[in-house]
Amino acid sequence: MSTASPSKSGFTSDQVFRFLTSAFAAFIAILFIVMLSVLWHESQPSIDKFGFSFLTSSAWNPVTNEYGALIAIVGTLLTTTVAMAIALPISLGIALFLAEISPYWMRRPVGTAIELLAAIPSIVYGMWGLFVIVPIMASSIEPWMYEHLSFIPLFSSPPLGIGILTAGLVLALMVIPFIAAITRDVFLMCPQNLKEAAYGLGATKWEVVRDVMIPYGIKGIVGGVFLGLGRALGETMAVTFVIGNAYHLSWSLLAPGNSIASTLANEFTEADGELYTSSLIELGLVLFLITFIVLSLAQFWLHTSNKKRGG
Amino acid sequence: MNPQNKEQAEIKIAVKNLNFFYGDKQALFDNTLDIVANKATAFIGPSGCGKSTHIRCYNRMFNLYKGHRGEGEILFDGQNILNPDVPELELRHRVGMIFQKPTPFPMTVYDNIAYGLKLHGNYSGSELDGRVEKALQDGALWNEVKDSLHKPGTALSGGQQQRLCIARAIAVQPEVILMDEPCSALDPIATSKIEELIDELKKKFTIVIVTHSMQQAARVSDFTAYFYLGKLMEYGDTNAIFTSPQRQETEDYITGRFG
Repeated sequence: MSTASPSKSGFTSDQVFRFLTSAFAAFIAILFIVMLSVLWHESQPSIDKFGFSFLTSSAWNPVTNEYGALIAIVGTLLTTTVAMAIALPISLGIALFLAEISPYWMRRPVGTAIELLAAIPSIVYGMWGLFVIVPIMASSIEPWMYEHLSFIPLFSSPPLGIGILTAGLVLALMVIPFIAAITRDVFLMCPQNLKEAAYGLGATKWEVVRDVMIPYGIKGIVGGVFLGLGRALGETMAVTFVIGNAYHLSWSLLAPGNSIASTLANEFTEADGELYTSSLIELGLVLFLITFIVLSLAQFWLHTSNKKRGG
Repeated sequence: MNPQNKEQAEIKIAVKNLNFFYGDKQALFDNTLDIVANKATAFIGPSGCGKSTHIRCYNRMFNLYKGHRGEGEILFDGQNILNPDVPELELRHRVGMIFQKPTPFPMTVYDNIAYGLKLHGNYSGSELDGRVEKALQDGALWNEVKDSLHKPGTALSGGQQQRLCIARAIAVQPEVILMDEPCSALDPIATSKIEELIDELKKKFTIVIVTHSMQQAARVSDFTAYFYLGKLMEYGDTNAIFTSPQRQETEDYITGRFG
């Protein structure tokens, strides 16, 4: 039994505190379940009509009332993959520079600048992407890729500026501040003794980073990466501006496409008819599930690799 | 200052007029002493007296930090290692270091030992296995971990972790091992195991140990140096220091009247 003295109501302060915090925690679980069940309920007409083929069909035609999620799913996964492929090495580089290499006077201003970048609204990134990045991509970068790399299916369509690649690039710029800021904090938490022990064995700076600092902080780094990944998967406005919003399935990163979030943003207000609305809600459900699966895989990977490393 | 009764002992490290600065603040003043090969030398003195600062010069660990600098000479087998021309990685290969808190790397027991070996050479799988086993045996840890070589090093107890770090240091066959209060985070039993190990290790290596425990210095060391406020106050045969110190300050410190 608790040794804390009972209050007038007969509960100890510990019991009240425990009840309050459990209620807060339960709130999150309840919210999760309610959101999932609302999405599930509202997508019933679409699930009844299309069944599993909703996930594998690339048709999206409000006129004939046929809906399939494939293009949006592929667009979401491709833009996210491109974004992470660009953002991850750059963020790690920034974090390492700030935590280990840069002179002390530089750390605070650059760190603050990175945190400010994370606070810019996504619509600003979208407009900037459309007016600045798209022309650059259209006039120089994508034509070069098309000319020299078009034998690879990923670069096999004519350069338009807008498209999956540009969306991925803008997403990368948006998630870099998140990943870099968290990873820097993780690197700063690595005990000085541990680093000195590795230096003391005759390791170089890079070896200390690769073999000691990254494994030591892998949990936090993965956490930061998944915060960025979550943002990239669900990002709406910036992607809508630059992805092209085309229902066209293509291997090429240069081609315009669509993502789940941008489809929802573009079409929800003009959706008429139960099936159209219901299909859009099912898209939302799919995005929910994709995010859930990706985060679960990350947890699983972290768990198994932790056993091996002993982090 | 030379240790008394050192006869014709071989000098491993000869320190001459070592001055050390943290930026503008001077931390060591004209330290001069000889470290005898294959003996254990203990550095004692109150906190902040410069013992750790002193041994961190032997592997140029201070070089990681801006504004830290050492002046004077540290002759390691006759070569001045404060000279920037002496390559740091090679120096640290020859001078191992053990820290106050155990520092197992975030990897398996096996990889912790193999890590240093891989940094400095190419070994075949079986050769690596052999060296890892030898190092763990020399670190008096083999019997306790031979069935859990592929478990995380951080899962060991504190004393085992510290012996893991010692095994990791001796795996690369250094000439000198620096120990910076290696037992201060350990219980008495783990401490006595480390002390037995030090006795064994000094047959092969030259040991320099910083300690806050007078008893430990008396038990494990052949020579003892007493530091105070960055100055080397007295240095000599451990028995002589503890039974008949030449200076009043040393006597006050070792008898517990001060510090």
